[in-house]
Amino acid sequence: MEQALAPPAVELHNISKAFGSNRALDGVDLRIGSGEVVGLLGQNGSGKSTLVKIMSGVYDPEPGGRMLVGGAEVPLPLPPGQASEIGLSFVYQNLALAPGLTVLENLTLGQRITAGGWKLINWISEHRAARAVLDRYQVHLDLDQKTGELAPVDQARLAIVRAAEDLRRYRARSGGSHSVLVLDEPTVFLPEEEIDRLFDLIRTVVTEGAAVLFISHDLAAVQAITDRVVVLRDGQVVAEEVTADIDEEALVDLIVGASASARQAAVDTSHVVALVEDQRAVELTREAMESVGDAAGLGESVVVEHVVDERLHDVSFEIGAGEILGVAGLIGSGAEELPYLLFGARQAISGSLRLGAERMNVGKLTPQRSVRERIALVPADRTVQGLSQGLTLWENITMLVEDEHYRNGIFRRGELLKLAEDAIDRFLIRPPLAHAPAGTFSGGNQQKALMAKWLIARPRLLLLHEPTQGVDVGARRDIYRFVKAAATLNQMAVLWVTTEFGELAEVCDRVIVLTQGQHTETLTGEELSEEAISAAALRQTREVI
Amino acid sequence: MSAPNKAAPAEADHQEQRAATLPRPTLARRLGLQRYAIIIVFIAMFIAFALAVPSTFLSIGNLSNILGGQAVLFILVMAVMLPTIMGDFVDLSLGSSLGLSAMTLAVLNVQHHTNVAVACLAGVGAALVVGLVNVFFVVYFDNDPFIVTLGTMTIVQGVTYIISGSNSIGIVSTSLSNWIFTYNFLSIPLEFYYGLAIFLVIWYVLSFTPVGQKALVLGQSREVARLTGVRVNKMRSWGFILGAGVAGLAGIAYAGTNGTIDPTAGGDLILPAFAAVFLGVTAIKPGRINPLGAFIAVYFLATGTAGFQLLGTQSYIQQIFYGAALVAAITIPKANRERFFKKRRTAEAR
Repeated sequence: MEQALAPPAVELHNISKAFGSNRALDGVDLRIGSGEVVGLLGQNGSGKSTLVKIMSGVYDPEPGGRMLVGGAEVPLPLPPGQASEIGLSFVYQNLALAPGLTVLENLTLGQRITAGGWKLINWISEHRAARAVLDRYQVHLDLDQKTGELAPVDQARLAIVRAAEDLRRYRARSGGSHSVLVLDEPTVFLPEEEIDRLFDLIRTVVTEGAAVLFISHDLAAVQAITDRVVVLRDGQVVAEEVTADIDEEALVDLIVGASASARQAAVDTSHVVALVEDQRAVELTREAMESVGDAAGLGESVVVEHVVDERLHDVSFEIGAGEILGVAGLIGSGAEELPYLLFGARQAISGSLRLGAERMNVGKLTPQRSVRERIALVPADRTVQGLSQGLTLWENITMLVEDEHYRNGIFRRGELLKLAEDAIDRFLIRPPLAHAPAGTFSGGNQQKALMAKWLIARPRLLLLHEPTQGVDVGARRDIYRFVKAAATLNQMAVLWVTTEFGELAEVCDRVIVLTQGQHTETLTGEELSEEAISAAALRQTREVI
Repeated sequence: MSAPNKAAPAEADHQEQRAATLPRPTLARRLGLQRYAIIIVFIAMFIAFALAVPSTFLSIGNLSNILGGQAVLFILVMAVMLPTIMGDFVDLSLGSSLGLSAMTLAVLNVQHHTNVAVACLAGVGAALVVGLVNVFFVVYFDNDPFIVTLGTMTIVQGVTYIISGSNSIGIVSTSLSNWIFTYNFLSIPLEFYYGLAIFLVIWYVLSFTPVGQKALVLGQSREVARLTGVRVNKMRSWGFILGAGVAGLAGIAYAGTNGTIDPTAGGDLILPAFAAVFLGVTAIKPGRINPLGAFIAVYFLATGTAGFQLLGTQSYIQQIFYGAALVAAITIPKANRERFFKKRRTAEAR
């Protein structure tokens, strides 16, 4: 075959990268032949995105790593912007399209930026050229439509056409035959029936002469489109297989890798055990929960029934009093919607929520109602939705309870400040500056402040979305302890949604798994391990519709 | 702050370091300086004028002029602050609401001989209608307040021309001008005290009640406010309506002060009012729209203007002074010397 003769489109040798003590990549080799579609698989944190970022020049690899493009050595690290000059093009999950611009403008954006500011634009010929480009890839879009108004799949196709066109121009310019299109999670938010249209486009791109690196969690998609798969685990390549020779079950085993994950879990446990021995911190947490007052011992259970929205199809579950229920699901599974729907931050189509003796219609829930019912939401986006960055720490922490400190026409600011200072002490927020703007604190401390803000409002149901995202190990440990203490001491019901499955195995009493908007599995007790949760989340992908 | 969690020394160290890198003393010093900068400059300016033209500047007449002469602007500043503090930057229509209120009052009182109190209520009512229209288009339809109020501002100006028949209308009942302008207490016209009363109410609500605190959160980050259970749209609506109502009151003060109402009334006041609000942001509570800061800013600008007039400068100096004070006040706290030099150095290195 000619593939064997021609040099591979891209070759990576011995790529390693460490962040602190964490080895994200460890001696990774990867080869993508011309005209080949290679799937790159692995769990969150397995090193996929680090590898892509090294290819695109965002990160420097450690010395010893080499990259060959079209058989020619490329010095690493790649200078920014260089990737497109050597025939590499990237499409990320967010697509990097300007929603307010037209299809035509988005398509030609790259040329605009490289072509200098004062060159006259002939819109008529641009139009004609763009039409020809879209026709070549058999993508039929209205060039004058606003990109934001396109269906998600068409937006993805537009982004891919743009990237493929860059590669085609590169091949024409350099006379080379190699070029690689890297697709990072392109199918995440796409509806089932539309994915095929994306695949047709990818096949056209390959026929045009590019190789494709396809990164995805969606095993069905990977099996449908790739020739070969490479599986990463803990920063190492653990398997390279021809796609046709391997079934989904075997892929799951390769990705999850029981033995390695078990070792990982053991390490995680040791962190948490160490923190429980920190008696002073435990004492402070206990004080914090006791100060929370009258919710203690109330012990209401929560029943959620038939929640439906665009991504969730009829999800039901219960949370017992004092139980921490984990919700696992890949991005796009709908799990990430749940906390916002149950708080009324986003509108569900229908569903019911029973909290103690009260029954609420999830479809009509508003944040005001939820706050009144003492439902707490700790959102993932803490800088926009969680804490007001410009206000001081104390104002943020006491935001929900300030009404209780306004009596006889006097706002008891001193009481609020005292309350906030106690919370800062008990929730270990550092530095303990009540008057500093919230935006000046580190991610971990902001997250602890956000927990404090909600926990001092005595919630009956605590909804958490990615509560340890971008948080250092110490703060993560503290947050686990706060939530566990809230659940056990105050009998609070907790819903914990994250894509970090190891974390769910660590803190939750029970984990439900959502795939494609449906509750597909429940794991308890012995079954709670990172690998079991991952396998459950991966396995049912696209089987249930 | 000795770290309580001694069992994790590495982590504690890490956090201590982070605490050390937070620029606590410099920040505090800078905030302190910034907080009172206007007051310090105010005092310095006052002393300078007092020394330069002692006989006129320190006269009772001049001081009463400074305090009383800007009462209309002062009330309008309070009006501007209400929607602005809730994050709806710029309700441009407030100036023309003032004009509409004054003109409605004048037309009813002068041409239709309506009782002056009823005419005043009608004036405020007309301004409230403008506020409701803004709410409808900005809050209900979720439009950009700048664009909508640019439109309503122009429309209201047109309406003012219509009801006045494009004429100046006067003279409104002397009992109104007496109670606003002629009668005085401690040699200062009563309208100053009306402004002061409005200020005190707004100051109390915004700075000393949970409602004010919620308005502040809403203005700083709407999404946080929403997810904290603040009724975002209701609150914004009240901001526009009350703002328009207070602008209507400013219109009454305007009518009482001037006696004759020109159809363009209020148009030249709105930008100085914004200047005062934003100048006030740099004082007392830096970075936040706050009533006390706005109060100081209005009278800082009024004092400067009066002083320059007494020095015999041209009247356009007032405009230059307003603009320069605003730009200087927001820029000086940012003129970080280190950063400036660092930039220069990197530029030279290239």
